Amino acid sequence: MILHILNRPPSSSLVYRDALAAMGEDDRLLLIEDGVLGALTAQIRHFQTIEGRLFALREDLGARGLEGQCDASVQVVDVDGFVTLSEEADKTVSWF
Amino acid sequence: MPTHAPATGDLLVILRHAPHGSSWLREGLDAALVAAAFGQAVTLLFQGDGVLSLVEGQGPGPLGQKGTAATLDMLAMYDIESLFYDQVALAGFGFAPQQLQLPATGVEAGAIAPLIAGHRLVLTF
Amino acid sequence: MRYGLLVEGAPYSSQAAHSALRFATALVARGHRLESVFFYHDGVYNAARLAAPPQDEPHLYDAWCSLHAEHGTQLQVCIAAALRRGLLDPREADRHGKSGHSVESPFELTGLGQLVDLGQAVDRLVTFAP
Repeated sequence: MILHILNRPPSSSLVYRDALAAMGEDDRLLLIEDGVLGALTAQIRHFQTIEGRLFALREDLGARGLEGQCDASVQVVDVDGFVTLSEEADKTVSWF
Repeated sequence: MPTHAPATGDLLVILRHAPHGSSWLREGLDAALVAAAFGQAVTLLFQGDGVLSLVEGQGPGPLGQKGTAATLDMLAMYDIESLFYDQVALAGFGFAPQQLQLPATGVEAGAIAPLIAGHRLVLTF
Repeated sequence: MRYGLLVEGAPYSSQAAHSALRFATALVARGHRLESVFFYHDGVYNAARLAAPPQDEPHLYDAWCSLHAEHGTQLQVCIAAALRRGLLDPREADRHGKSGHSVESPFELTGLGQLVDLGQAVDRLVTFAP
């Protein structure tokens, strides 16, 4: 499993498409920074191909006042969860 | 389309930015060259706007900014011969594979995950 | 596990340095070893010793120094990316005939080869970009 890290939202950057295209079947995607905008229910359609493998960083959602809008299908993790995801992955790839 | 065994190596450098507009491409290529000079097996993947770094006829910027075309010519000298580009991205700019300044292999989106899996370290620029 | 971080965002311009520091703090708290933070691209500005943020904002420069002091994490700065951007340690300032320096210990100017070495030495290298 490879952990892909995305810090851009699908509303303003198409890099998410390249990240999704580069993901293997077991890979996971973690949304951080402005990337968490993609975790909102109104945006989640962009990530439907990886349902169950999508994560978002809680503190980046919280700081933006968006935790309540985060879609139920997204697994919200704190920074310790981010570390755990990196431990479980063979490597990480950052997309920006 | 012929099927290739996915390339493997120590380092995959993914280049996603066009020449001249930022230093990403140049700094990404520098990292690749240094890794190769240190004896690592390096693969390059030109993706998104990064495919434009392969286009012929690039020159210096108006203030004499070097650009990256000359650096690309050095890749072979550093034994970096495993070069891939995103063929959908290249077609999106209206270029054909014959118009590239280097011999690189076009890949479809599905070939990128095996490339990433096949390298110990992946750096994106 | 042994970790390395690659930081490519300038301090205060993007969230990259903040995210990297948060991640760094969390991973050492979990008992991992953070070998080195390598600064590249605009990330080299994190090494600017004269950074003077307002007192009610996080002091990123001091936080990097604390990481070094408390956990022995190396703070390595790509010399080529740094010199272009006016980030010189005393030796480079002298070599280029400049009257002051903008980088000092615990930050160290080093070659990209150190990034290659780091990538080989650690179990995980995580990139924080702008």
